[in-house]
Amino acid sequence: MTEITTSWICLFAPLAGAALITLGGNQLSRRAAGVISTGSVFVAFAAAVVAFSTMLTRAPSDRSHVSTAWTWLSAGNIHFGLSVIVDPLSMFMMLVVSGVGGLIVAYSIGYMHGDDEERRYFAYMALFVFSMLMLVQGGNLILLLAGWGLVGLSSYLLIGFWHERPSAVAAAKKAFVMNAIGDATFALALFLLIAKTGTLDYGLAFSKAHGLSQTVTILIALGLLGGAVAKSAQLPLHTWLPDAMEGPTPVSALIHAATMVTAGVYLIARTAPIFQLASSVQDTAAALGAVTLVVAGLIALVQTDIKRVIAYSTMSQIGYMFLGVGLGAYASGMFHLMTHAFFKALLFLAAGVVIHALAGEQDIRRMGGLRALMPKTYVFFLVGALSLVGLPPFSGFFSKDPIIAAAIARGGAFGYVMFALAIAGTLLTGLYTFRLVFRVFHGQRDTFVDETFDTHHGEGPLVMLVPVGVLAVGATLAGWLQVPGGWAGVSNWLKPAVPPLIETTNTQEAVASIVSVALGLVGLGVAWWIYVARRLPAPAAVPAFEKKFWFDELYDAVFYKPAVASAKLLYALVEGPLVGGTIAGIAETVRGLGSGTRRLQTGLVRTYVLALAASLAVLFVVFIAVR
Amino acid sequence: MANGWLTDTLILLPLGGAIFIAIAPLPRLAAGLVALAVSLVEIAFWGGALSAFDYRAGAGSVQLQDTTTWFGDLGISYHVGFTGFAIWLVGLSAVGMTAAIAYAVWVGREHARAYFASMLLLTTGLVGVFAAQDYLVFYVFWEAMLIPLYVLVGVWGGPGRLRATLMFFIYTMAGSLLMLASIIVLGVSQGSFDMVTAGYSGSNWIFLGFIAAFVVKAPIFPFHGWLPDTYREAPAEVAGVLSGLVSKAAAYGFLYIAVLHFPDPARNFRTPIIVLAAIGLIYGSLLAFRAPYIRGVVAYSSLAQMGLITFGLFATNLAGFNGAVLQMVNHGLISLGMFMLAGLVELRAGTGRFDRLGGMAKGRPVLATVLMTLGIIALAVPGSSNFAGEFLILTGVFKSGWGWSVVGAIAIVLAAMYMLRLISAVLHQSRGSAVSDSARDLRLGELALLAPIVVILIFFSAWPAAITDHTFQQRSSTNGLSTLSDGHVVQRSCGTGCQIVELVRP
Repeated sequence: MTEITTSWICLFAPLAGAALITLGGNQLSRRAAGVISTGSVFVAFAAAVVAFSTMLTRAPSDRSHVSTAWTWLSAGNIHFGLSVIVDPLSMFMMLVVSGVGGLIVAYSIGYMHGDDEERRYFAYMALFVFSMLMLVQGGNLILLLAGWGLVGLSSYLLIGFWHERPSAVAAAKKAFVMNAIGDATFALALFLLIAKTGTLDYGLAFSKAHGLSQTVTILIALGLLGGAVAKSAQLPLHTWLPDAMEGPTPVSALIHAATMVTAGVYLIARTAPIFQLASSVQDTAAALGAVTLVVAGLIALVQTDIKRVIAYSTMSQIGYMFLGVGLGAYASGMFHLMTHAFFKALLFLAAGVVIHALAGEQDIRRMGGLRALMPKTYVFFLVGALSLVGLPPFSGFFSKDPIIAAAIARGGAFGYVMFALAIAGTLLTGLYTFRLVFRVFHGQRDTFVDETFDTHHGEGPLVMLVPVGVLAVGATLAGWLQVPGGWAGVSNWLKPAVPPLIETTNTQEAVASIVSVALGLVGLGVAWWIYVARRLPAPAAVPAFEKKFWFDELYDAVFYKPAVASAKLLYALVEGPLVGGTIAGIAETVRGLGSGTRRLQTGLVRTYVLALAASLAVLFVVFIAVR
Repeated sequence: MANGWLTDTLILLPLGGAIFIAIAPLPRLAAGLVALAVSLVEIAFWGGALSAFDYRAGAGSVQLQDTTTWFGDLGISYHVGFTGFAIWLVGLSAVGMTAAIAYAVWVGREHARAYFASMLLLTTGLVGVFAAQDYLVFYVFWEAMLIPLYVLVGVWGGPGRLRATLMFFIYTMAGSLLMLASIIVLGVSQGSFDMVTAGYSGSNWIFLGFIAAFVVKAPIFPFHGWLPDTYREAPAEVAGVLSGLVSKAAAYGFLYIAVLHFPDPARNFRTPIIVLAAIGLIYGSLLAFRAPYIRGVVAYSSLAQMGLITFGLFATNLAGFNGAVLQMVNHGLISLGMFMLAGLVELRAGTGRFDRLGGMAKGRPVLATVLMTLGIIALAVPGSSNFAGEFLILTGVFKSGWGWSVVGAIAIVLAAMYMLRLISAVLHQSRGSAVSDSARDLRLGELALLAPIVVILIFFSAWPAAITDHTFQQRSSTNGLSTLSDGHVVQRSCGTGCQIVELVRP
């Protein structure tokens, strides 16, 4: 089989799984639903691995193909195929999505055990993996947008999975609507692209884009960036992500850490030729990423919900990825996407083990001293945390520092501001990450823990611990795919698909590494001083951080309230008079007609209908017969 | 002409069924089952018509024609046949009416013979409107469609049905009479009422007479005064037929009569019509967001969707036309399905008010799955057939002015807001006061009513080109002239993206 056939299998295996579970309904046991869902995602992973190994045998110039099954949508000379793109970039994403996805779905079998609606959960999870694969494999921009919308849908379904909780339903709706804003700007970019080039096929659209004016390319890039920012929870469309933690923890790990939220990074890499024509927009992407990574880091410092801390950390890390692809260091951005998928999924799943053991409690003020009770989980969590802070030899070290080095390589005022923000971020990362580690696993054990911790249950079943262990191995080793000054596995692989705009020197890499590791360690040390050694008092709360810089309040005042108010106003001023006014007018003028209608009796009705039908029929018979 | 009998059969079969049911002394269930059988056979004949239609034939593409001269000296003839896009609307009507009739059989409407005879008569009216190739025949079927509706709403509707019927009657009659006046003036002045052989008209007044009937029936803002009452009071399946199918007769009129037969007036009035459509799109979406009951959301979202479809039609380019036809089919199925679901929820809870509903997903997985699926397609999640239609429409209207697409994009966000509000108000959170534990999940029979609609929508999500490849196509592009599959020749300007500047006769 060629890599094209296996790519199609990879795409549709999870959809088949979702359909099977939905149609099976109650006939299917809950365990079977979990197994089908996990199995279908692992089939996708296996197909991706086979496709990858086939692709490896080909020359780098022969690794990019588009395969079309049928015309999906058409109008005149515009045709959009149902097609997949098989190239190093989509292959990279297929492996990450299906691999990490399979592990997380398997973990869910243990995590969701006993939930009333396990089947629905597993159908949604498989649907999500299909949607995400559609996003990364779609062979043109409209299919990318289709996958884009479908991951938003699955995210909505899974955030609101526990739909009896009002907070979960509200969070799900918020996520969907904010993403719909991004979808809308994305779609507008595509309308403009079609109007100017007549196509949405990657190759053709990109080559025709070279002939477009600067204004047009900037508008198209801005529309795409709007979609990317909403999906990846970057400023200013980020407020849905922390709320999305209402979903089950494996959902947070898969959708809101490892895969979906990084789709914006993929989008910018995929449409790199357009962003390169609109370099101001590409710089905007980098700047938004840099600002987000600091702001999210600051907010993470004061959060008390274990999942929300990790969620803000995700925003912050995606900020690094945006910075990377925004600077044109595509391979570095994508590499960080991959290592992040490992260590962030690991952190979430390990947090899930903690939450699971504490009867659903997520408040870190009620935890503490869990190291003794959960030694394996502690190790796993620590691996994730060290990787997140970017300390060698863990993977985050290898993937984050090239991004920081790219900022130095960019140089100029812009480059150095980006560099300053990025290293400020590493300090914050060390601080908030180890605040979390120390509050949860070290120090005095809260009485709540003693009351709720189930010693018999322990750290959970193997079906949960094994995937976490695999992710821990990944988080430790994945960084060695690319070692500065040594080898460049990821860069070389991606180069044919997205050639980099920026190259870093070994000196720049070294400077970036030394500074960021040093600052990460400072952050870790300060956290130690405050939360373990207790030589420093915990800092006073900063209202701006606690209120998350008032974004929610702002959007409520600027968007939601005006929508409600204008709907009310329209009803009072337009709709009411229009409908009620006609009623009054009619009642005055045609009262006679009304009494006629009132006399309609059902026996008579049939006669009327019959008379009408009969006269129509007579008309036909007469005129057709006498032709 | 070849296969003209198929068209005649599609028109006459439901009419015969209506007469049979009205005359034969059938018990209630039998009347319903006969009507159902007739409508199923209708679908089969539609399948025949679809396969007999030659989409490769470029010119003279009104196919499956049958002509009988009625009054030769006046130029009136019984002339029927289908264009490539009309045939999809006939399919929508056949499938939609079957679902509505099945729903009525399931809930057991009173006075069954009168009811089912009216429904079949309505089917004939709808199919006839899409088949008519003579203006007077068009008018006859237009009225044959409206009159059963007055009866269906007035007799089987809710407590406020009389006022609703009256509103509906006054509005639509006013529109119809203006259209009749236009038809007479047009036919007499041209010496023929035939749509295919008669030339184009350039008269703004005649054009506006037709538009009057269509804007009321669609409806287009601000001619929708009859809509809230009628959609609320009508029996659920009749409301679904009204918003899903009958409104498409108006959209079809916009396309086939207003745009394709009055190219100059259509160009003159294009901007005001698009402006009204845009207002309706945003206005309907906002009111849907505020409506306090299920049918209100669906009703106002229909107003919005008709605005969107009008966008596509008056974009007057291939993307707009194809998108609009696809969207007519999508919206027809979605609206009908949503109204039927609203009816089923009302049957269980006794109300459709959101403040008394909620929590119905718990223990009712089938209801939740069907409502969720329909709702998600309705809000045009990317990848759905509804998305495909909206995407093409907005692609088309973008060429008329990017601002219209921005309006459309805002409406996409609003659609997400009102549809998710509906879904969670019915299904999620704590149990509403009107929802008792004994309220059942959808039963197998009810699932059988709704499943075909959902399956068809999923099919078109996988392959929306099934419709767009088989409506308007571009044949050749020499000299900026190309032929559409309905035989119209289009003159295009290809300066900045191809745009139809004129529809000209072959």
